[in-house]
Amino acid sequence: MIKRFIYLQWKSFFRAAGVATKMLHKILLVFVWLYFAFVFTGLAFIAFFGIQEEIGEDPLPIVSGFLFYALAIWVVARYFIQKMPLIHVKPLLAMPIARVNIARFGLLKTVFSFFNIVNLFFFVPFGIILLKEGYNPIGVIGWLIAVGSIILSTNFLNIILNSKDKVLVAVGVLLLGVYGLQHYEMFDITAVVGPFFMAVYQQPFWALIPVALAVVTYQWSLSHFRASLYLDNEVMHQKKETHRAGELGWLDGFGRIAFFLKNDIRLIVRNKRARMSVWMGFAFLFYGLIFMSDLYSGAVWQVFIGVFVSGGFLFSFGQFVPSWDSGYYPLMMTQNVPYKEYLISKWWLVVVGTLISLPLASFYLFFSWETYLAILAGGIYNMGVNAHLVLLSGAYTRTPIDLNSMQGAFGDKKSFNIKTLLLSIPKIILPMFIFYVGVLLHSKLVGFGLIALVGVLGVALRNAVFKWIEQIYQHEKYQTLDAYKQRNA
Amino acid sequence: MINISLLSKKYGDQTVLNIDELHIPSGQTFGLVGNNGAGKTTLFSLILDLISPSTGHVKNNGVVVADSEAWKPNTAAFIDEQFLIGYLTPEEYFYFIGGLREIKKDVVTAALTTYEDFFHGEVLGQKKYIRDLSKGNQKKVGIVAALLSNTPVVILDEPFANLDPTTQIRLKNLLKEEASTTGKTFLISSHDLQHVTEVCDRIVVLNKGKIVRDEQTSPTTLQELELFFREQL
Repeated sequence: MIKRFIYLQWKSFFRAAGVATKMLHKILLVFVWLYFAFVFTGLAFIAFFGIQEEIGEDPLPIVSGFLFYALAIWVVARYFIQKMPLIHVKPLLAMPIARVNIARFGLLKTVFSFFNIVNLFFFVPFGIILLKEGYNPIGVIGWLIAVGSIILSTNFLNIILNSKDKVLVAVGVLLLGVYGLQHYEMFDITAVVGPFFMAVYQQPFWALIPVALAVVTYQWSLSHFRASLYLDNEVMHQKKETHRAGELGWLDGFGRIAFFLKNDIRLIVRNKRARMSVWMGFAFLFYGLIFMSDLYSGAVWQVFIGVFVSGGFLFSFGQFVPSWDSGYYPLMMTQNVPYKEYLISKWWLVVVGTLISLPLASFYLFFSWETYLAILAGGIYNMGVNAHLVLLSGAYTRTPIDLNSMQGAFGDKKSFNIKTLLLSIPKIILPMFIFYVGVLLHSKLVGFGLIALVGVLGVALRNAVFKWIEQIYQHEKYQTLDAYKQRNA
Repeated sequence: MINISLLSKKYGDQTVLNIDELHIPSGQTFGLVGNNGAGKTTLFSLILDLISPSTGHVKNNGVVVADSEAWKPNTAAFIDEQFLIGYLTPEEYFYFIGGLREIKKDVVTAALTTYEDFFHGEVLGQKKYIRDLSKGNQKKVGIVAALLSNTPVVILDEPFANLDPTTQIRLKNLLKEEASTTGKTFLISSHDLQHVTEVCDRIVVLNKGKIVRDEQTSPTTLQELELFFREQL
């Protein structure tokens, strides 16, 4: 049974549009895996020897205590990033296959997700170190089983969180509550979790509790997933939404472009994936906060922040133009619309997004006016140069987006290909370089000025550049149309 | 209106369409029939410049469609659900299409009232997105959008499929009326020989990418077509 499911997965991978880029994607993924393997193994060594030497205490109780945080972060990260098990289930439902087996396969797929495997890179080396350092082998194995069971529990819990809003709220309140109590020093959760895992180490039979937890969450999510395997279920079928975003008459001032802008606003408001990309763009606004430490006070980093913070929407939404319209691309191509008008309407959309982000980012003024200046300069550069580049790379983005599917906005990096990757370099590196030239010439201010100037130039040359981009779109048109025919690829 | 010469489409060494000459004069209701894989949709896609020809060209109103976009104001089409925008309500979709065709909103509203019978009260004013409509109702939306685009050429791929019997009859009447009153050129493909002979002035039969029959519709056409397809058994 499982063999047949795997066969289907295999075919859907190799017969999808752009297998070559997909392969490249996978190869790149291998490097990402190697990176994480390296980092997490390194962390395991640091966790043991670092704590032992720096603090001079037994590392195991300390790591045990921190496990709660790790798991809390895991629950949250999974909810936002991990994809729901997606098998092309519709043709299977009428087959003589027990529904529970389809559900099992879906769950099995999640077990092998990044979020589970990556833990092995930490806990296996950590376990080996423990054994080498003379810890009780049975205790260590019990401890590892306990930790692994808890990780699997969060995996299964995530499936329920994704479909049951009540459970989501309950878990959210619980986590926030624990965090609050911890923050106000009323109750220290690590004082409970730490000793529990130490108890497991000393008396491994305590590991049965986490194992039981894993089994219970597995059964729960299995029965839930199985029950949802009906075509009219909301897990399979996006919830029918009520009418949102109505007339949008205020846009009519934009002329013909207003028709596209209206459509794009409806696209964003009414489709989960598009909404997610906007939220992601919003999150980019706060990206700079990570860099506010002294480590990144270097001026070139400010430019980096400037481009990123003001360009969140541009990068997260713009990178999927024209894939957003993939479901009705043939319509667009036969309507009374020159390509150029279509492209310019998309340009306006990302420009408006960038313009909105600029006042929103003004809180960076609290840190330094220079940072905000960098954001302003980056914003102008985004509108003048990166907006063009994003649309240019769109000509090579050939992965259809099925707006009606439940795929997450993050995990799905399918539109990756080498040309879009190459085109993303000037988006970030070039302004940093321009700034550097400005600093060499005179000062930071001149550097920011130069970036903005290039941006203004880009806006001024927009029509000429778009003529060229239009030609590329024309050239790629048939291939794009062909690729967009393959949905669910 | 539509002139095709030496048009062919090959995938690898397989030729899926090969038409030496085809002229569709202005105002004609042109019917295209043929079994699956005969090349009907391929032909329509070539006329709409959705795929590129291997050889030859299609001229729409004198414009080579692969070289210029100037044919677009001239032509409206409904081929499949990729011509619909799922997250819009039918009304929003009609106004969007109308807007692109530079038809005023109140003109669209007025035009929609003439299609009320055809919609049978299941499309307008439902506050539902197109993606949540049934296949048949989606089809109605697509057909009406192509009709109200008010273009000299209208291309409909299998407009009768997925429609309920009553709506099929309504659609036949609608197409006949539009063809006689507006002087539009219609290109219609169908598997339903009876419908297509009833609606169209001219029937072209495609078989394995080639035109095998081309005639004006006469009272005997339906019988002849049935005979022809029986011979294919």
